[in-house]
Amino acid sequence: MVAALAPLLAHPAIWRGNDLALELATLPSGFADLDAVLPGRGWPQGALTEILLAHEGIGELRLTLPALVQLAAKHRDIVWIAPPHLPYAPALAAAGLDLARLYVVSCKTPQDALWAFEQALRAPECGAAFAWLATRDERALRRLQVAARDGHTWGALWRRPGQSGSALTAPLRLALARENGQLAIRVLKRRGADLAQPVRLGLDERLPPRSRTPFRSCTPPPESPRAPPSRAGTAPP
Amino acid sequence: MTLWGCLLFPSLPLDVFARALAPHDAAQPFAVASDGHPPRVVVANAAARDAGIRDGQLVSGALALTPSLVLRDRDVGAEARALAQIATWTLTFTPTACLAPPHAVLADIDGSLRLFGGLPRLVTRLTAGAQELGYASRLAIAPTPGAALLLARAAHRPAVRNATELPAVLDPLPLALLDLPDATRETLRNAGIATFGQLSALPRDGVARRFGGDLVARIDRILGRVPDPRVPFVPPPRFSGCLELPAPAQDVEALGFGVQRLVRDLADWLLARGLGVTHLTLALTHERYLRARGVPPTVVPFALGTPARSMPHLLGVLRERLVRVMLPAPVEAIALESGAASPLAGRNLGLLPGDDSSEVDVPLVDRLRARLGDGAIRRLVPHAEHRPEHAMQVVTGGTALPAARASLPEALRPLWLLAEPQPLDDLLGRAPWILRDGPERIESGWWDGGDIRRDYFVADTADGKATVWIYRDCRRGLDSDDWFLHGIFA
Repeated sequence: MVAALAPLLAHPAIWRGNDLALELATLPSGFADLDAVLPGRGWPQGALTEILLAHEGIGELRLTLPALVQLAAKHRDIVWIAPPHLPYAPALAAAGLDLARLYVVSCKTPQDALWAFEQALRAPECGAAFAWLATRDERALRRLQVAARDGHTWGALWRRPGQSGSALTAPLRLALARENGQLAIRVLKRRGADLAQPVRLGLDERLPPRSRTPFRSCTPPPESPRAPPSRAGTAPP
Repeated sequence: MTLWGCLLFPSLPLDVFARALAPHDAAQPFAVASDGHPPRVVVANAAARDAGIRDGQLVSGALALTPSLVLRDRDVGAEARALAQIATWTLTFTPTACLAPPHAVLADIDGSLRLFGGLPRLVTRLTAGAQELGYASRLAIAPTPGAALLLARAAHRPAVRNATELPAVLDPLPLALLDLPDATRETLRNAGIATFGQLSALPRDGVARRFGGDLVARIDRILGRVPDPRVPFVPPPRFSGCLELPAPAQDVEALGFGVQRLVRDLADWLLARGLGVTHLTLALTHERYLRARGVPPTVVPFALGTPARSMPHLLGVLRERLVRVMLPAPVEAIALESGAASPLAGRNLGLLPGDDSSEVDVPLVDRLRARLGDGAIRRLVPHAEHRPEHAMQVVTGGTALPAARASLPEALRPLWLLAEPQPLDDLLGRAPWILRDGPERIESGWWDGGDIRRDYFVADTADGKATVWIYRDCRRGLDSDDWFLHGIFA
């Protein structure tokens, strides 16, 4: 009986509860450990990804940059809607992102931001649309999910620290936090079985290491063993 | 051997007004009146004719028949502009078109037959196209322009392809169709000459002696015995379309149909001149009594990211932009003018079904810019500057991105930069922060008054939760306590 079922279960249209769903199109994230737990082994193209943050500055954008660099290299546009701070061009360019593909949209009202996000998700030339939105309106989110599906766009809905998300709509939900100097990615929701353990990425290892001695403003900072980068225009002390 | 098509617009005085009406409003009785004394009906639409109104009738009589009749004064200038616009559109079918005022356009279609798949198909496209533009038309085909015009006036539908068939077709036509001086026509009528055939059968030297050589030469040109050179129509260097609305529009949505007509005209003009437009101006003129009080027209400028020609693209952008326009008063007329235009290469037709990219969508950037404003879409370029806040150039508007020539800083830079550095006050004093890198001294900008002197550090906040970019402002001394947060290593 089981032997008879086996070829049937191997059919690609059938997935079982403990399998990951087969996403039609995904975008490799550039991190093998993360790809391993994402359905389709990458960021979903044609679906909304909701990302919750414990804190800003833990490597959340660096997590998405390899995929964005790939998209830009394929001449797909990248649209960032209502980012909380200025995206800093020198750092983005240093990461290899083609800035000619990046559009930063600022919106006066949340309605405008929602509209712009939906337009970006629907646009065929747009490969990835990121929006920093507070909305938890289910109808609006469902609209966005449909737009992402129709436009085959990777839509990331970013929540600021302290903002709670909406568990219903986005098929992929991640919560990011820093634990023991590593970026811990908890998969809150995915198409497939639950994941108990967070994925840990050593993103910060690419930053300069933490020095042993903490420094305070009142004490002069300890002299770093590395010489400060010499720069034209900087005055010698 | 040439072949000419003549498009005659018998109800042009009416159509210049009526084309601004959405189709469902066209059932209202509507007529255009001359401004003579007493005023007479020039042309009436179908609904008015059903009510018994005839062309040439006195306006007072027409109003007695149908009190709800909408009347407009005839606008000869608008008719001439409409004819020029139609000629521009004709240039999408042929390289040579010419005006035959007051109400006809002639097109040399001999060279276009093959491209458009034969005469019957071209005829269908011409008549359907004129109807789409909003003009009722009659099309006649003949080997000479004069004969085509005569046949169009006579409503002779079958195409005449050969000059040898011309006399047989033209002979029975009444002389009234030929624009003859009144005296000439009177003399001929008294002599019993009523048709074109009778006139052309008269002895040539006799006709020339009595009426001048002009009439003989004209008959020769109509029959193709001598060449008939015409001045080809050249589309105007700038597009300027105007549409008078039959009834004042109260809101922006009521303008939609009229705007669509104008955009269609604009697209034809762009195609005829091989151009793509990047800047457009839409002017909405308000009602006359308000104009007198000094209410200026509402002017809506548009900018497009790339030169555009296709009608869906232009219309999509205009619709989004119009939604944001607040009308201070009802609108009586709309005008569309082209600004900067640049050459745009033609598009190849698809070989197989499916690779025809005619259903071009409005580019995302144009749609966003139309609704959110030019300044809302920003693009970023690194800039060769040491001061972090100046090391990036923000580009708005539809201009191309300047080439990034800046050499990037070797030191680490954060992905988020705070618009304004945030003072840390005594945050650093309360709990120790953990240093990752630094100091990086940046001292620059003395030439423009924005000089800075800062020591930058990459550090983790005291709780270890975030990596940030902070600096000590050294302008008041190297060990000052002025600490600022300037970036986040997101």
